[in-house]
Amino acid sequence: MARPVFGRVSVPGRASSAPAERPARVAHLDRDRPLVEAAQRDPLAFDALYRRYLAQVYSYAFYELGDHHEAEDATERTFVAALTNLGRFQERARPADGDGASTFRVWLFQIARNAVANQRRGRRRHPQVPIEAAALVADPLDLEGGASARDEAAAAWLAIGRLPADRRRALVLRFVEEMSTAEIAGILGRSEGAVRVLIHRALRSVAQDLGHER
Amino acid sequence: MPLDRDAASADALLTDLYLDALLAGVVLDLTTVRDVTEGRGLDPALVRAAERLRHDLVRVHPSFRFEERLALQLAEAAAGLQVPLAVGGNGRLVPFPIPSAREGPIPDGADAARLFDLDPTIRRDRTRPLLIGGALTSAAISIAGAALVAWRLGRPGRAAPMARAARAVREARLAAATALPTIDPVTVRRRPH
Repeated sequence: MARPVFGRVSVPGRASSAPAERPARVAHLDRDRPLVEAAQRDPLAFDALYRRYLAQVYSYAFYELGDHHEAEDATERTFVAALTNLGRFQERARPADGDGASTFRVWLFQIARNAVANQRRGRRRHPQVPIEAAALVADPLDLEGGASARDEAAAAWLAIGRLPADRRRALVLRFVEEMSTAEIAGILGRSEGAVRVLIHRALRSVAQDLGHER
Repeated sequence: MPLDRDAASADALLTDLYLDALLAGVVLDLTTVRDVTEGRGLDPALVRAAERLRHDLVRVHPSFRFEERLALQLAEAAAGLQVPLAVGGNGRLVPFPIPSAREGPIPDGADAARLFDLDPTIRRDRTRPLLIGGALTSAAISIAGAALVAWRLGRPGRAAPMARAARAVREARLAAATALPTIDPVTVRRRPH
């Protein structure tokens, strides 16, 4: 899992010789900063950010909407909006954001969340049932294990599909996108503590649904 | 109630730590977690559910065709967003020669051409950056245009033929007017037809 946004830069062996009043230098390590700055200078450089986050945004949209075509539409809107508004993006990372977290990613997923919400409002198609979606993502080459894996995946998909929207969203961001609690909090507009409790309760619901009650 | 809330927060924090380790691929000894958390352990059902979700909730990739189509669309949009050269996009910095005061006035002729040698090792102290292709160039061109017009207007000998003709007519009229005797408007009478 990715991490440090902020990290102390210290040279081994020199810490003791440094003056006591001298504060440790803090370096920002947002992994997307060079790409974002390049894209802000030249919009054509946005392609690198697009390639990095396409699958994540698409996957998030697919889990939210349950339909490939709608997920494509939401993904398209997300990236077009991100490209258009990239000049206004400002990095606002905090030490609490965790190691290797990206404020750009949080910003991008905030756009994706809005795009998905708009897509849902205007949706005409019926979402695919989770078992069909699970069949689409099951390994087609694993013929023997395919059926059971598909059943298990379908059960998991059904379990998260039955969750309230905010819990489902938090679980998808945590497990599929492998985001930190801080990043999810930034996307959902909640405190980190609230997100932790949200995920904990969601996981408990899934556990009960999957037949793992205490 | 506060105790329940604290307990829920502690459980949530413990779950969060476990998920951090799980998603990072760290094999976690749950007994260690239990020791660290002073007896509070993770619910085994939660652990199993988390492992199940970790395995089954896979990332879904879009089709290659969609990826390339959207990439093309974004490239077109990006090309439209590129700032035009005249307003500050894609500029490049080149040294702009400025003679320093201690080196005296600007030399003319061949010496003046030497000033425009852009080799930074030769005249680094006499140059300042100029953005070519950007806003400064645009402004410089505007200023140069105004200076050119002012210079040309200030040099009547090199004006265009039409301007010379107009100026000659105007000067002739002024000369004729000064040559006429002053007339008292009271004495002017209309001639009888």
